[in-house]
Amino acid sequence: MKTKLLIGMAVALLIVSCATTPEPNATLESARAVVKSAEADPNVVKYDPLDLEGAKKELEIAESAYLHHDEPGIAQPAYLAAQTARLAQLKASAKADDARVAAGQEERNQIQLAARARETENAKAARDLEAQNAARLQAEVDALKAKPTDRGLVLTLGDVLFDTGKAELNSGAARKLDQLAQFLTEHPDRRVQVDGFTDSVGTDSYNLDLSQRRADAVRSAVLGRGIDSTRITSQGYGKAFPVASNSDSGGRQLNRRVEIVIGGENGATIPARH
Amino acid sequence: MSSLSARITVLAGAAMWLSACASNPVADEKIAVAKTSVQRAEQAGAPQAAPVELSTARDKLARAEKANMDHNLKPSAELAEQANIDAQVAEATAQQERSHKAAAEFDASMRALRQEATRGSQSNQ
Repeated sequence: MKTKLLIGMAVALLIVSCATTPEPNATLESARAVVKSAEADPNVVKYDPLDLEGAKKELEIAESAYLHHDEPGIAQPAYLAAQTARLAQLKASAKADDARVAAGQEERNQIQLAARARETENAKAARDLEAQNAARLQAEVDALKAKPTDRGLVLTLGDVLFDTGKAELNSGAARKLDQLAQFLTEHPDRRVQVDGFTDSVGTDSYNLDLSQRRADAVRSAVLGRGIDSTRITSQGYGKAFPVASNSDSGGRQLNRRVEIVIGGENGATIPARH
Repeated sequence: MSSLSARITVLAGAAMWLSACASNPVADEKIAVAKTSVQRAEQAGAPQAAPVELSTARDKLARAEKANMDHNLKPSAELAEQANIDAQVAEATAQQERSHKAAAEFDASMRALRQEATRGSQSNQ
């Protein structure tokens, strides 16, 4: 009985002595923490498992030294474990960044290609629009029966639109003036110069006055159709600038006229007649 | 005959003396490895990116060499191992910095590109 008790106590002592955990070791604990955080890093697992393995092996060596109370044997493997784990994290972080950039290159190329395609499309749309505008302008000019000259588009109102010796427009002029006003509304940046002319019959002062009044009458008629007064100027030239001979009635009729000069885009000024 | 044996004795003595003086091959190898790592780190931008780690590595390498000369083989090998891993960490720090910077620049360029793309498609509508 006594012997058994003694043996039991001896066994218990043995167990206790074996079970005592060594004093905590700061180097080892910090190595554990670093290795653990590297293990938890998905980039490390993906991009640098080799160094992670190395770190874990060193940590095992340190743990083993710790368990065997080999205090001096802990520091070196623990240090190597921690530094190798750091190395793994740094390498993995770099590789993850590199991989992201490499993968993004393809997306970048696609975005650039799409942008280029869109630019081409936009340019084409702009060209189409320009062509449409040009075509519409041509159609409008055709409708006005305006002639392109170096001063601009010239629209001639013939003598028949005025009563003889008078400056009032008769009803025949209304349609042309409506078309002109509509054209000017659609092209608000174009200016207009109205020039009046007569034949050579009568005194110069009479002709100058008549041509001025006729030009003014056309200007007023256009203003009456809602066009801003600053866009239109008028000038009488009398018998100057004939377009036909004044020696016969047909030529004289052609010379009695009002010319409406439509300026270019962007408010371009109309050069004076000379 | 006696001169020959004397010669042999001298030679053997010299060999023993040499081997006693010669450094330990394990420490030698570890020092060589650490040296290479330090050089790599120096060329990889570590002097700017990780000056502290690098100078620690250099310092440990010097101490490893000294310990080796003094026949303190275990400390020499251990210091060389530490110098090696420290140098690798320094190099990796520099590389990580470069990769991170490149990725940040790439991200910025992609953001700009996407914004441009969005603006482009809006102006197209």
